[in-house]
Amino acid sequence: MTTTVAPVTNTVTDAGLKGEERTDISEQSSTDLLSAADIPWNLVIWNDPVNLMSYVSYVFQSYFGYSEAKSNKLMLEVHKKGRSIVAYGGKEQVEQHAVAMHGYGLWATVEKASSSGDGRGRKGGARG
Amino acid sequence: MAKAFKYGLKGITGYLEPAERELLRGLLDDVISMLEPELSGNEDPLTALIGLDMNVKEPSDRALLRLLPNVMKNDDAASLEFRQLTERSLREGKIGALRAAAMGLDRDELVLTREEAKLWSMALNDVRLVLAERLDIRDEADADHVHAMQDWSQAEDVESYLALVYNFTTWLQESLVQAMMASMDRKP
Repeated sequence: MTTTVAPVTNTVTDAGLKGEERTDISEQSSTDLLSAADIPWNLVIWNDPVNLMSYVSYVFQSYFGYSEAKSNKLMLEVHKKGRSIVAYGGKEQVEQHAVAMHGYGLWATVEKASSSGDGRGRKGGARG
Repeated sequence: MAKAFKYGLKGITGYLEPAERELLRGLLDDVISMLEPELSGNEDPLTALIGLDMNVKEPSDRALLRLLPNVMKNDDAASLEFRQLTERSLREGKIGALRAAAMGLDRDELVLTREEAKLWSMALNDVRLVLAERLDIRDEADADHVHAMQDWSQAEDVESYLALVYNFTTWLQESLVQAMMASMDRKP
């Protein structure tokens, strides 16, 4: 990612992980309703040298409804580690997110949670 | 000179000189024509209607592939199947955003609603992705190298001209995203 005129100035904290998320996430993340076969898919965002850090954070905030702090944390993970799992859930749900990310111009792929070392657990997930 | 987008009482506003508008319009039109699906005469109208495209292939042009990436990293067959189901509507969505931005350039004043600003930011991003491929920006060092080109009097060849155009659209998108963030802060 790249930053030009104004770098992201917001301090990245864990505040967003402690309950700042908007309610539409938790309401729709009732993973118990999904069958086991549908669960383990990750949405991965990959780093690229073009997308602006601010834009990537904006996309996470506006599309997933993530807090600014959580969005910045994920964005920095993409930037520093080369990739980040930003959502997870059933295959179709994650594919829908992927095509939305492609609409925004982010480089997104889906993968089975087991195919990567940093797969996340079943709890939570992004907007349905 | 263009003015950075900002968020204020009127919403998200910006200013571009006529020559800058013309430049931007040309870039938007270029990306639109890249994304417009080729018309095949013997297409099944029903599959077209529901957005399927069984003839679709992975783009050979790197820039187009960046706009329409594979959905799986190591599974070409599954990526192609997904492409058949989704690529047409993805192209249409992108073209919609690019056209919205191009139409916005026809107005005297650049005053954007939040929805228009979102479409503008997506359109500018796609323009930048295409320019970056043409400039062969592969990593952060390449990006820094291009970013160092700031002086229009240095524009002596196509590449340096493209670099300046890329930096202009980068600056414009950054200011737009900052204005959009400011508008998000002030509304629930």
